[in-house]
Amino acid sequence: MKTNLLYTAVMAVSIFFFLGCETENDINKLGNLVPKTVEYDSSLPSIPINGTQLHAETFGNPNDPMVVFLHGGPGADYRNALNVKELADDGFYVVFYDQRGSGLSKRHDKKTYSIQLVLDDLTAVIAHYRTSPTQKIFLFGHSWGAMLATAYINSYPDKINGIILAEPGGINKKLLDEYGESSRKIELLSELTSNLFYIDQFLTGKENQHEILDYKMGISSSFSYAKGNDEGIEGPSPFWRMGAAVLNGFVDISENEGFDFTTNLMKYDTKVLFLFGEMNKSYGYSFARKEAMYFRNAQIEEVKGTGHEMIYFKWENVHPIVLFYLNELK
Amino acid sequence: MKAIIILITFIISYLSSHILQAQTLNWENLKKEEKHILNINAGWENSMVFGLHYGYHFRTEKPLVAEASISIPAGSYFLDDFKTKLGGQISFYKIDNFRLNASVHAIYRRYENPLVVFQNFGADATVVLGYYKLKWFASGEFGFDKAILTRFKHLEIYKEVYPEAKNGWYGPSTGGNFNFGIQGGYSFNRSDITLRAGKVMTQDFKITPLIPFYVQLGYNYKLD
Repeated sequence: MKTNLLYTAVMAVSIFFFLGCETENDINKLGNLVPKTVEYDSSLPSIPINGTQLHAETFGNPNDPMVVFLHGGPGADYRNALNVKELADDGFYVVFYDQRGSGLSKRHDKKTYSIQLVLDDLTAVIAHYRTSPTQKIFLFGHSWGAMLATAYINSYPDKINGIILAEPGGINKKLLDEYGESSRKIELLSELTSNLFYIDQFLTGKENQHEILDYKMGISSSFSYAKGNDEGIEGPSPFWRMGAAVLNGFVDISENEGFDFTTNLMKYDTKVLFLFGEMNKSYGYSFARKEAMYFRNAQIEEVKGTGHEMIYFKWENVHPIVLFYLNELK
Repeated sequence: MKAIIILITFIISYLSSHILQAQTLNWENLKKEEKHILNINAGWENSMVFGLHYGYHFRTEKPLVAEASISIPAGSYFLDDFKTKLGGQISFYKIDNFRLNASVHAIYRRYENPLVVFQNFGADATVVLGYYKLKWFASGEFGFDKAILTRFKHLEIYKEVYPEAKNGWYGPSTGGNFNFGIQGGYSFNRSDITLRAGKVMTQDFKITPLIPFYVQLGYNYKLD
């Protein structure tokens, strides 16, 4: 018995010294696993609006018609949509911003989020960059960003001069559920399933422990581009930092309160441009048509050779369609 | 943190040198002469998982079983993810057919996806209160699984996302989950067929895992 205890003690001391040779990182230290947000990194471009601080940048002549890009998620960022800045060379003032709690923008408590709050943020972003009352404003939304653009039109049908909606994943709760069911199928025995769920025993994080939760969401993103995925996503696309609290906040709102961004869309007379990727089996023309029917005037265009992440992977096919639409309304 | 490492090392060394690990057992049906307990199991526990257990039954006054186990989730790549456990369980209190049991395990586990590889040292502890008869048993369990120290190795895709991400050991604890549920089983000859099921919650009780439950079907075979 005494020999075994001595053996154990020697092993413990040996491992103590062995592990002591390697520096231990603090899981809670800013910058270790995910980049710092604008709140903690003053070198990042940002704007203070509506009680928060947003990571934002612009391209082009501030007096040109403005195109505000709205990224996906909720909780993703605009890094994989930077191709859109080419519109600056086409005579548009392109505004990018990471939505509240997303990307490199300031983090907030999960319970503070609401649809109205992010609509107010968008109003404030437009006001911040607008150089004259006659400057035309266009919204270009991708995925969740397209849902947000729709919600904005639904609330303020007379403020926007045109919108481009690249595969909004459901502009009301029923459509969101329908899209979710067809695009997020789980096969019990697949590598994708273990990649997505097995991590829960390694990393948990607390409700507003943003560094850990954002990191976990970021490294779990590989499920979206797994081989054979229904959304036709070709592979990884870059992001800065995911926002888990904002995603969880909006999931709660969707599940508990539901949402409907279609109630007032018929008041919007301007033509709306819908884009869908040829390779996205979950969306396609039929789903685009379902969403487009809520608008008085909608044009549906297929983007060839790509899926849901069309702006990153096939911008050369997206660009001419978007430019033609914008030039019509410019 | 170093103290925790030492504690884990101590537990692993102590248990491996003295006793061998938590199978779902019918304590009433476990005979003194049955020394070896083999177990296979399958179920959902943070993924679709398949496991193998070995237990060594000591002839002690209070029934004591030392255990070693490995479980592997389904997937395309063999051993990119797995969990090993070393520890033991004891039935330390009995009144009539009611028993109070406890188990503790040291854990080493691995996880890999296209962005990162984790290696983790952790521990779990479970308390089980149940009613045990020769042919069957039913019980309730409450446990905690702590990921104490984790090594992060970032792969190319994440290095492109965030080149400054630091590799290496991370602490303090990177995670923890509570579980509570039921156990039950049917015993015959030298065999038990067992079922565990329950709910998982993260340590702050505010976040639930993506699929917040577990279920495990097991088969024990006992040898002298």
